[in-house]
Amino acid sequence: MNMQASSSFRPPGSLPSNPLAPYGGAWSPRLAAHLLRRAGFGGSPSDRAHYASISCSDAVAALVHFPEMPQYPEPQLVEGQYPMPGAGVGADPAARMALRDARRQQTIANASWWLDRMLVTPAPLQEKMTLFLHGHFATATNTKGIYGLDIVDQNELFRKYALGNWRELTHYVARDRAMLKWLDNARSVKAHPNENFARELMELFTLGIGNYTETDVRESARAFTGFTFARRDGAFYFNDRQHDDGSKTFLGRTGNFNGDDIIDIIFSQPAAPKLFASKLLEFFVYSEPEPELVDAVAELIRKNDFVMAPVMSTLFRSNVFYSERSYRALVKSPIEFVIGTYQLFGVSSVKPAVLGALNRMGQVPFRPPSVKGWDGGAQWLNTQTMLARENFASSFMAAPEMAQSGSWLTAGVPANANDATQRLVGTILQGDASDVARAKLASYLDGNGTSADGALSAENFEERMHGAAYLTMAMPAYQLS
Amino acid sequence: MNRSRFLLGTVAGLSVAANANNLFGMALAQPVLPGLPGGVDDRVLIVINLQGGNDGLNTIVPHGMPSYYRYRPTLGIAPGDVLQIDRNVGFNPEMKSLKSLYDAGNVAIVQGAGYPAPDHSHFRSTEIWQTAEPEHYETTGWVGRYLDGAGLPESNLFNAVALAPVLPEVMIGRKVDVPAIAALAGFGLSSDRNASERGTFASMDKTGSMPFSSPYLATVATIEDHAQRGSEELPKLIAGYKTSASYPATPLGRSLALAAQIVGSRLGTRVIYVQHGSFDTHAAQKGTQDRLLREFSDGIAAFYQDLAAHGNEKRVLTMTFSEFGRRVAENGSRGTDHGEAAPMFLIGGGLKGGLYGDQPSLEDLDNGDAKFTVDFRSVYATVIEKWFARPTAGVLAGTFPTMRIFA
Repeated sequence: MNMQASSSFRPPGSLPSNPLAPYGGAWSPRLAAHLLRRAGFGGSPSDRAHYASISCSDAVAALVHFPEMPQYPEPQLVEGQYPMPGAGVGADPAARMALRDARRQQTIANASWWLDRMLVTPAPLQEKMTLFLHGHFATATNTKGIYGLDIVDQNELFRKYALGNWRELTHYVARDRAMLKWLDNARSVKAHPNENFARELMELFTLGIGNYTETDVRESARAFTGFTFARRDGAFYFNDRQHDDGSKTFLGRTGNFNGDDIIDIIFSQPAAPKLFASKLLEFFVYSEPEPELVDAVAELIRKNDFVMAPVMSTLFRSNVFYSERSYRALVKSPIEFVIGTYQLFGVSSVKPAVLGALNRMGQVPFRPPSVKGWDGGAQWLNTQTMLARENFASSFMAAPEMAQSGSWLTAGVPANANDATQRLVGTILQGDASDVARAKLASYLDGNGTSADGALSAENFEERMHGAAYLTMAMPAYQLS
Repeated sequence: MNRSRFLLGTVAGLSVAANANNLFGMALAQPVLPGLPGGVDDRVLIVINLQGGNDGLNTIVPHGMPSYYRYRPTLGIAPGDVLQIDRNVGFNPEMKSLKSLYDAGNVAIVQGAGYPAPDHSHFRSTEIWQTAEPEHYETTGWVGRYLDGAGLPESNLFNAVALAPVLPEVMIGRKVDVPAIAALAGFGLSSDRNASERGTFASMDKTGSMPFSSPYLATVATIEDHAQRGSEELPKLIAGYKTSASYPATPLGRSLALAAQIVGSRLGTRVIYVQHGSFDTHAAQKGTQDRLLREFSDGIAAFYQDLAAHGNEKRVLTMTFSEFGRRVAENGSRGTDHGEAAPMFLIGGGLKGGLYGDQPSLEDLDNGDAKFTVDFRSVYATVIEKWFARPTAGVLAGTFPTMRIFA
């Protein structure tokens, strides 16, 4: 079930008068944890303590001005890449089966590679922005000829431009091999322009519906003809013989436009910064942001010429970001839920089996359901995905790597059930649980809810703490960011 | 249901969680649907979303129109290969099973379904078909609004079911909450460890006074409650159903098998949503569409065989929709771009099979797209009024002529 239709998910209350002005209130561990959930994946208890110990402004600076990353190894290449993967397999059923299997293995290797990187990165905001961009320019692998490291190369492009100039990024997205395949532009030729990329470029990536016409779609599709890639090595290549260099009329202008001209015209439209502003607010601040807030962020984006580092700095230091209205006002995505849990308990490598759990929760990296990406918000929540979250939390607590993590969870025998409850609710939920829930948890820890083993003791506390951690993660606050 | 009423319902629901068995037990023990067998209260609608925009012209092929072959130099299906219905149209050759059902009088084909000022965006057009509101943005689906007005018992968690990982907009109402179930395996709390914790979990207050507020808090709490109760009950409720039908080993086959099980277990379920796709065939269309149509056709045949073996075939009407048909002329990638009108299928033991609506002209196109001849809301109106015997007021905005597809 799902209630998004019958209610608004904009937080109640009204916008502060200077929503983007720097937050001047008290800085606390609770707000540091809020920042780390939004600008990263939650972090470990020691990460949070560190960010709480420096100022808000320094904390944001540390997230935005991340150091130059050391080289991160690419995922293992399971299948062949270029020239064209799968070429020469022919009709032999065994060879085709082997190719299919290799592609599946590659898909798993690629997704695991990124999840691990999110988990251990010293630059969580860079990975978070990369995740945003993956959902924005949503492209799936293991379909439409997108195999091998195609999707990883696209991912590195997003990482490189995470806080860079997103107009420039869009020019590269139009040249990206995975995107050229995904939206068919690689096969778009002068005699038969394919409209798929041109349409989604405007509808989903930059302007939004209502800000262009069907004629604009058809005309811009002509401008992108000839944007393709070389079969030999997969590199972008402009095939001028297949490019329609005739005159086009696009968004009120006429000229012999090519794809790059189209992107520049699009980014000069007021709708472009507004679309990015709205999506950033929905992803990082709260749902259904007020039009005034969208306009203010759009102006910030325009003023910074689509360079995102100063935009995100302002947003993460702002009044609106630290207002009670923003606090826990978003639903954690499955990836945030999973990576945040790993970081919280100090488990430092992701098992491929977690992809099955993510699939049941509704989000597998590199496998968005469509070019629209993941809707997020209430769409993450239904009976099926909620069970998957609870089952993940339960099996995570039972996993051997959890037992070996040496986590804070079982570091020291708690004095009593209330002390244990305090540790759990404080570290997992920053205290965000009702008194009734705390009492139930304490009662469970003392054996009342489970067995005849008796009160919490040095003998049973590890088992009890793991069970209680699962119950704490099943509480509503843990589903929210 | 408005938010405050909804919350009251939730709190009440939590307090009787321990009695959930009784509620479901009652639903099972008494005739869930009073009335004569086959009465309107006993009827079920299966809505199948052919996601991605199915190419109607290569589904019901206008082999009698020479211009079809001009527009489709590589994708056109030769007259000799078409499973002919008449001199004008016929089925895609992969749809042999559905053709047999058609020949038995169990399939109505509504040709040229669409709506005015068609939108070519997958997302907007999907929304339009699901909300039945082409002119403005609506947040509830037409099935959700039908369910809201149908006087269904609030205690039943399975008044409608979406066999999908995400609840589709068509099933969203203001009052009736529809569970999303991707597959029965995985619909439940998994480990034994959970069992020892379940008592605490079930009794844990999820809505009490929190030291924070969130616009999502009530939703999360309610879904946690429904997920836990629903997942415990559904497998028990449908366990008694046995089938010998052999479904294709595809996601659609599995969904339809579960749908037949739910229908046969008589849980009072009125609508089941199923999805199939993706039909978004911009390039190399033939292989993909042929496979999807074969899976659809064979899946439907197994479904009705299963239903018939349990005497349910007349209780179940299946209706397909897709956000749009595709451009009449194929593109340079042996594919087709987003278009407009396309056929819908209505399938069931209780209808009058045949062709309905006019096949769109290929001579008079709307900027390269087939113009609609039947407003899809007429089909919805037919389902609401003739199948469910409910008024369309409150479900559809405006009145739409119904079709005489029921015998």
